[in-house]
Amino acid sequence: MRVVIVEDHALLREGIVALLRENDIEVVGQAADAEEFLRVVTAHEPELAICDVRLPPSFTDEGIRAALEARKRLPALGLLVLSQYVEPVYTSELLAAEGTGGVGYLLKERVGDVRGFLDAVQRVAGGGTALDREVVAELVRDRSAAGGSTIDELTPREREVLALMAEGRTNAAIAEAMVVTHGAVEKHISQIFTKLDLPATAGDHRRVLAVLEYLRATG
Amino acid sequence: MTEPGEAQQPASESAKLADESAKLADESAKLADESVTDRAIRRAEELLRRLHGAAPPPGGPAGAPPASAPDAPEASRRHGLPPLPHLPPPPSSGELIGALRAAPSMLDQKIILLRFLAVVVLGACVLVWGADGGGEFWPIWVLFGFACAFGFDAAIARGLDEPDQPAKAFALHLWLTVFTAAVLIAVWVLAGAGAFWPSWPLFWLGLVLLGHALLTPSEVFGRKEQLAARVDELTRTRSGVLDVQAAELRRIERDLHDGAQARLVALSMQLGRAEQRLGDDADADTIALIKGAQEEARQAIAELRDLSRGIAPPLLVDRGLVAAVEAQAQRSPLEVHVDAAGVDRRLPTVVESAAYFVASEALTNAAKHAGAGAGAAVRITMAIDGPWLRLTVADDGPGGADPEGSGLAGLRGRVEALDGRLAVMGAAGSGTTVVAELPCGS
Repeated sequence: MRVVIVEDHALLREGIVALLRENDIEVVGQAADAEEFLRVVTAHEPELAICDVRLPPSFTDEGIRAALEARKRLPALGLLVLSQYVEPVYTSELLAAEGTGGVGYLLKERVGDVRGFLDAVQRVAGGGTALDREVVAELVRDRSAAGGSTIDELTPREREVLALMAEGRTNAAIAEAMVVTHGAVEKHISQIFTKLDLPATAGDHRRVLAVLEYLRATG
Repeated sequence: MTEPGEAQQPASESAKLADESAKLADESAKLADESVTDRAIRRAEELLRRLHGAAPPPGGPAGAPPASAPDAPEASRRHGLPPLPHLPPPPSSGELIGALRAAPSMLDQKIILLRFLAVVVLGACVLVWGADGGGEFWPIWVLFGFACAFGFDAAIARGLDEPDQPAKAFALHLWLTVFTAAVLIAVWVLAGAGAFWPSWPLFWLGLVLLGHALLTPSEVFGRKEQLAARVDELTRTRSGVLDVQAAELRRIERDLHDGAQARLVALSMQLGRAEQRLGDDADADTIALIKGAQEEARQAIAELRDLSRGIAPPLLVDRGLVAAVEAQAQRSPLEVHVDAAGVDRRLPTVVESAAYFVASEALTNAAKHAGAGAGAAVRITMAIDGPWLRLTVADDGPGGADPEGSGLAGLRGRVEALDGRLAVMGAAGSGTTVVAELPCGS
């Protein structure tokens, strides 16, 4: 797997690079600002870009804008954004981006959980999603505050399953996380699909729709 | 983890900040005192205007200023505060002016009648004089009579137009003296301007006035100007303090983000790598130790994140007021329409924060009271009009909000600290509208 990383904080950038290399992931380019990042991405055409949000010169949302621009140039590029704060708007913008590449939005400290982080890297590089559980929790909170939504009809247990789905986990991983059987997870998911009125087509597609139902009202 | 220098920096920052806050509180307290006087002056002016009708009599000594304009802007200008362009003036003056127009008091009616009568009588006199074949222009004496009456009234009005007692007595004395002198000189001119006989009366009048002036403590003179200057100064320094405070807060947030937070993340990452290197067959106690350290780091990061968010929501910092309010609107359970076409630039940090928290609180209130799922709709309008940012949040909920409720009172404090204004309107049954106006530079 070939990865490009943009992070203005040298200590963090080098740390992440070292961590990826230790785990046999090839880091083909590094950048400290958005301009350099776009240059590196265009030159190396990686499978995955790991981006910080706040970058020089203005330290606002350059990372998000650069990531979306990179996706325009390389539609299959996976985008994994590492941020120090939860911001549903950015998550939604990433999810709404055109292209076939995967999308991830993680809080930076998740890098400390090496195995979880590498999982997320693999998923996003493979075209999947990896949303931080804090991001998902915020989205769920918004949706349940919204009232009248079909999400409201879900039981707490089903909502928990949906949150884990939104993080991009497989049924097996959800079963493990919730300490229940595989069959129980499948039952919950089928209940979610029914309650959200999702047509019985390809399973994976319904999964994405269910997650998007979460995100829709948050723009 | 952090070098001593860096650990001390935030500490000295917060000490500086506390110091600024203390100064600010002090200034506010002083300002509150001033504004009591200020209100008293305004109230007195209102009463006077009420007493003397919409405009003072013409031909008053030294040309009394035209007072027909509504008093609020005039008073504001005099005290160095900009007039409020949109909000209706406070009920006292607004309603007062309206009431005067609708139903003039007995005194006003009399003065208007008198002026009308004066014009009619003068016209009649001139006609009679003309019909009589001219000659000496005697209607001038009729004019003189009317001028005396109106002049006296104006002199009294001006004399009473001082806030404090010693100054008021002296002003009354001064203007009555001016009036008397004017009458004497007018009589002298009208009588053919012969030998200047008013010289002695004028001398004595002047002497008595001088005596009064010497007996009056000098600091009472120009009290109004002093107050106005003081208010100007306080307004300026306070806004300076607020700007400094906002900039400092933003810097602390940036320092946290780039400094402590980033280092903790790096720490957590190093711990993760260490744990991975130890492998699965490592000593369980060691693994537990590392995991414990990681959990500590995670909590510290989360705490710092909450702290940063409290200073300003990230989206507000990154993308500004409109983006932050729109995001807030989308997350509301109500149907919220945002019209922010009138805001085409970033505004000063303090203004963005205050406007954001007003919109946010108003939305929360609307959601709380309008009842979710009832199809309630909210309209948020933001526009820049000259040096003002105007924010309106209107819902179609049950209305009847208590403008003194703790949430609204907090917002009011926040808005007024910036010399802005917050109004909450809406009787029970007619929805609630919150309007905030904030000076935002031009």
